[in-house]
Amino acid sequence: MNARETAWRVFAGELNSSSLEIKSEEEKSPSYLVTPLGAKLNRILIAGVLLDKENTGTEEEPMWRGRIQDVSGNFFINVGRFQPNAAASMADIEAPSYVAVVGKVRTYTADDGRVFVTVRPETVTNIDERTRNLWVLEAAQSTWDRLVRMKDALRVQNAGRQDLVNKGFSQEDADGIISALEHYGIPESSKYLKLVQNSLRMLLPDRNIDLGLPEDIADAPDEIVLGEDTGKGKEFLLSLLEAMDMGELGVSMDVILKKAAENGMSPEEVEEASDALMDDGLAYEPKVGFLKAI
Amino acid sequence: MNKEELTPHVEELKRVLEEKVTEKELMDELDKYVNEYGVDMESAKRAIRRKFGGEESGFVTGNAVSKKIGDLAGNEPNVDITARVVYVEKKQIRARGEDKTIISGILGDDTGTASFTIWSDSYDLEKGSVYIFKNAYIKTWNDRIQVNMGSRGVVEKSDATIDLPERTISYTSVESKIGGLKEGMGNVSVTGRILSVEERNVNVRGEDKIVYSGLMADDTGKVQFSAWNDHNLKEGETILITNAYIRGWKGIPQLNIGDRSEVSRVDDPFGSADLDISSNKTLREVSESGGGLDITVSGLVVDLRGGSGLIFRCPQCNRSVLGGECTNHGKIDPVHDLRMKIVLDDGSGAIGAVLNRELTEKLTGVTLENAVSLSKARGESGIIAREIAPKILMKRLVLRGNVMSDEYGPMMIVSEADTEEVDIEKAATKLLDVVEGAL
Repeated sequence: MNARETAWRVFAGELNSSSLEIKSEEEKSPSYLVTPLGAKLNRILIAGVLLDKENTGTEEEPMWRGRIQDVSGNFFINVGRFQPNAAASMADIEAPSYVAVVGKVRTYTADDGRVFVTVRPETVTNIDERTRNLWVLEAAQSTWDRLVRMKDALRVQNAGRQDLVNKGFSQEDADGIISALEHYGIPESSKYLKLVQNSLRMLLPDRNIDLGLPEDIADAPDEIVLGEDTGKGKEFLLSLLEAMDMGELGVSMDVILKKAAENGMSPEEVEEASDALMDDGLAYEPKVGFLKAI
Repeated sequence: MNKEELTPHVEELKRVLEEKVTEKELMDELDKYVNEYGVDMESAKRAIRRKFGGEESGFVTGNAVSKKIGDLAGNEPNVDITARVVYVEKKQIRARGEDKTIISGILGDDTGTASFTIWSDSYDLEKGSVYIFKNAYIKTWNDRIQVNMGSRGVVEKSDATIDLPERTISYTSVESKIGGLKEGMGNVSVTGRILSVEERNVNVRGEDKIVYSGLMADDTGKVQFSAWNDHNLKEGETILITNAYIRGWKGIPQLNIGDRSEVSRVDDPFGSADLDISSNKTLREVSESGGGLDITVSGLVVDLRGGSGLIFRCPQCNRSVLGGECTNHGKIDPVHDLRMKIVLDDGSGAIGAVLNRELTEKLTGVTLENAVSLSKARGESGIIAREIAPKILMKRLVLRGNVMSDEYGPMMIVSEADTEEVDIEKAATKLLDVVEGAL
């Protein structure tokens, strides 16, 4: 009996931090990508905003690429020739819109050894905001559960796979956690806590209190497959500076970073965009820590 | 497997088939069986040999080694085992559309016991006698060793005396909840309330027998039971059964109360709880158990499989047919039907599920009538699945039904289906409180 691989709900922040692949030794057995929190991914379920799409094939044999954004970063999808249903959906869906994708995880190792993660969709579905929110909730729950399991596993001194199984972990979970610890070391729990917290706060606008956790959520590369994107960042930042202008000093960097994070922009992206705006002569720093549109 | 790895096997086949078939042809055949269809090497070679008319005896197989049961690793292709038959029965099975009688049971030696299967009806083994099982191949199922006798296998009576260790005779019963029962378990103790019981007359190997069967339940699930002796079971009473054994039908566990089983009346530990309800399970639990009766699951629809949408059925046998031809009834005038074959996934596991016309209409708003007229207008029936897909994918459903398993994994035959409303804000608040509480 072949049980079907579960579709893991995983945020881009966790997926893109993954670089450990377990290739199966047996033929026709699935391979897995292990995340720093110990999820053994083969199939995943992701949702977010389709930012852009591009047909890199031909009209007859389309090969769609696309970028999907969640609260923590971007997913990169590649629809090949052998996923006709997903390709047909990609042709119909206009960017931007909410989409959900079920697909297999693929990795690509660059010359410098960095590992990039892409998704090969099996189905691409146009969804409404509610369904996207439901996914965010499930992904937050799932990430939190992994954090808790990881924490429980770390309490067992020098645990091996069997030790964890004896403690009540499933074989799969024990295997994923031990592999992750061997490869990545102890995960930065604050990063994932922040990720879960940010995603839940997005669902609960009334709960937007900053608890002062580090902001560097997205350590994911943003340039793979689809190239530069400072254009959008600049546009967003400029509109923000205009909308929130407080007079002489413009807008404080803290406010900018917070608003940017809510819109899925990392601090690095904000810096890049603000540098670009200043270079273009569209903004300046009236005082350190403030930015104002000209 | 690549060409280099296949070559020695191709040469062996060529030798056996006395060069009747070209090497290229054999390579293509073997490649197809092994790489395309994933058939194991031994079966592939046997199939090819049969296809081209070679002799069985020409096959080069290593000499069988003799092993004790306790030393079996679970993957031996060819072993001799001398053991005593602890239990034996003949069974009717259906393999590749043909009815077949096989012999199965349990054999034991001083190191342990294992179940065995002889894939033919050519022996009459006696319980308690010692035999040599020659050229057996060993597999594991559910972490238990299984001794198989295929076409190469020979069973011969042996004069050896085998003393079984104490533990194989005094079967210790393992306690299990009904929700944890799995096909293949032996010696289990189960406490449950009888929901229904009826007497049935059955014919077992030419002998008329009365079997008392029905449904029993505890707070983790329901199971069908069959008692082969009269224990005077009554609906509503709670019993403890020791030394029951679990057989399965398509992955659905079935509890058997046999000659060695004991039944006693116990105080009901379930209180006033109504046990005749569907039990909620995660999809991981369902995947692990392989099946069960009256289960409720929830999750997201992550795929709509082939065979969904507008289909055609034979008016006589109700099988789904393609091209107006039924495999049993030939050319027929097919009737239309609507169904969905979905994959439901809750993040912990995934199962297939089949929804009939009524449920498909309810969940998608596409009626059979609409579907027939749309497919007529478009001149193709495939359009319906494409119409349905966006209406069902990523929907959150609660499904109730029986789950069975085949080679594609567990599958629910759905009896009730509804979309599930989740209070996102409430759930998010609850989780955020937990997360922030942990900071």
